[in-house]
Amino acid sequence: MRLIRLLVILLALACVPLFSYAAEVKMTSSTQYLWYQDYVADKGQDEIAQYLRLNVTKLDKEGKINFYSYGRITKQVSSSDDVQGRLYYGYVDYRDVFKDHLDLKAGRTFVNAAAVSGTMDGLYLDFKNFGPIGVTVFGGREVIFQDKKEIGSGNALAGGSIYLDTVKNTHVEVSYGKTYRDSEVARENVGLDFSTTPFDITNFYGRVKYDTKAEKYNELLFGATLAPLKDLILRGEYYQSYPTFDAASIYNIFAVDKYQEKSIAAEYYLTKNYRVSVKYAKEDFNGDATADVYEVGFLAKPIKDFTLNVSFEKRNGYAGQLSGIRLFGQYRIDKASILAGIDYDDFRREASREGSAKKYWAGINYEFSKIMSAVVRVEQNYDYNYDHSYQGYTAININY
Amino acid sequence: MINKKAFKIMVMSTALLLLVVCLSYARTDHREYKDATPAECRDCHGGAGIMSNHGGPFFVKEHRLLAQKAGSNCADCHQQSFCLDCHKGGNIDSDLRKSLSRTGEPMPTTHRSGWISIHPIKAKDDGSQSCYRCHEARFCSDCHNKIRNKGSMNIKSHQAIGNTQRFVFTADHAAEARRNLQSCQGCHPDAVVCSQCHNMKSGKPFRSR
Repeated sequence: MRLIRLLVILLALACVPLFSYAAEVKMTSSTQYLWYQDYVADKGQDEIAQYLRLNVTKLDKEGKINFYSYGRITKQVSSSDDVQGRLYYGYVDYRDVFKDHLDLKAGRTFVNAAAVSGTMDGLYLDFKNFGPIGVTVFGGREVIFQDKKEIGSGNALAGGSIYLDTVKNTHVEVSYGKTYRDSEVARENVGLDFSTTPFDITNFYGRVKYDTKAEKYNELLFGATLAPLKDLILRGEYYQSYPTFDAASIYNIFAVDKYQEKSIAAEYYLTKNYRVSVKYAKEDFNGDATADVYEVGFLAKPIKDFTLNVSFEKRNGYAGQLSGIRLFGQYRIDKASILAGIDYDDFRREASREGSAKKYWAGINYEFSKIMSAVVRVEQNYDYNYDHSYQGYTAININY
Repeated sequence: MINKKAFKIMVMSTALLLLVVCLSYARTDHREYKDATPAECRDCHGGAGIMSNHGGPFFVKEHRLLAQKAGSNCADCHQQSFCLDCHKGGNIDSDLRKSLSRTGEPMPTTHRSGWISIHPIKAKDDGSQSCYRCHEARFCSDCHNKIRNKGSMNIKSHQAIGNTQRFVFTADHAAEARRNLQSCQGCHPDAVVCSQCHNMKSGKPFRSR
């Protein structure tokens, strides 16, 4: 029933331009056939998916009112599961309701703030450009996706922020957010974000997130970026997190440890087409539980339309060891984009399994015209759970 | 010694100047740069400024601070589907780099090969917080509660007796629970198993917060 409602809404909205001022309709459709290994069901699955993104813009004379929507329906053909559907979003975006001072989104939309994030059926208001100050307010029914469908009822989220955007790319924002489960307050957070670039070569940023129910600092982040040369970027960061739980959770009574991470990173453009990057992180789980994580990356564009990306990661310490290399390349020939890659990971979990995992994949996206393209992707896996596990999908994409 | 009146004038003038500077600021609309490549963006944002990590090697992990800013420029170039295809398993733009999960939904490229085996290691990075940016806690139990032969999981804090569903709690289990309490929820969403030992009768209270 929900699926039919979803389709009716999308079709009805497609008709909106007929009654509107010179509206423009842009639709993207992707019809996909997928095959993959379902670890829990212990069998291969085949599935059909239909994606649809519908944008109706310039609903008014000045082009300030637009409508955006995106949804999906899926059906596992290898099981008796019902057709499942999701409406990711479907909202009216009204920019400059009051000239330069109010943007509005109404409907199902994704909201994202330090204090709370999620998809909601509700209203988002951005009161902007009051000098350097702006205020956002939002709230509505929270939409949670699970098992390829929406679940739950009685969930809601609400929040808002006050922000200051001023000289030197300085942004300071205080946000507040609440989530509700079964109509009871589950979480209540306050966030403080800041970022500033006092000199062209330096940027400082940070975040403090406080869980007012648990009365704990849930997250602390302080970092600095330095660009001593045009093509060199250095970064140092301190991050701390402390797990908190929904207000009604029994887990609130347990003692927990905070997690701390100190990291440094560098990226350097040897030329416009070659880049190297390195990163080191020291992870501290409290007590003698620590881990060291090293990452090295290399990006090359040796010829036109060809990109090669290689990265290596090594992790040693608490929870396990991991050494992994990932390689992928992308080449465009005429109307075809070809991508292929190899991943190899060697892992050792503490007091548990060890082994290696290999992944070989390739895909092609061929554009028959500006309107139509076809995609094929295949992947073969060899790992602890499977001697081989073959997966992939094929898609017909239409844009108009 | 500066007299009070002069001091007041100085403070007021500085405040007024700051106010004028602040009020004269306007955010740049980036919609006209929508089709620019990250390399072209660096022409303006080549230093340590806001663009420095856009499309960079660590951008997947670092973009959230930019994306969570109120009034950010993201929507000038990206539709919400760009975010949700990674965060909520969509695939309308057919990103060929992404593998499919066990439920047939595309996973962000942060999910390495052999993810079912490797995820307990990678989930520890950043204290598991990045998991919960996309997944609800019930996402873990949805899988862990259906695992065939849970004894084979070999969790450090509680080892199975043979190939059974009976477990022996090791001396590590208190420390492990404090470090990984969110992952305990994966198999024990209501913590009933904890209260079998830790109850008023047993005299083994939790060391509470």
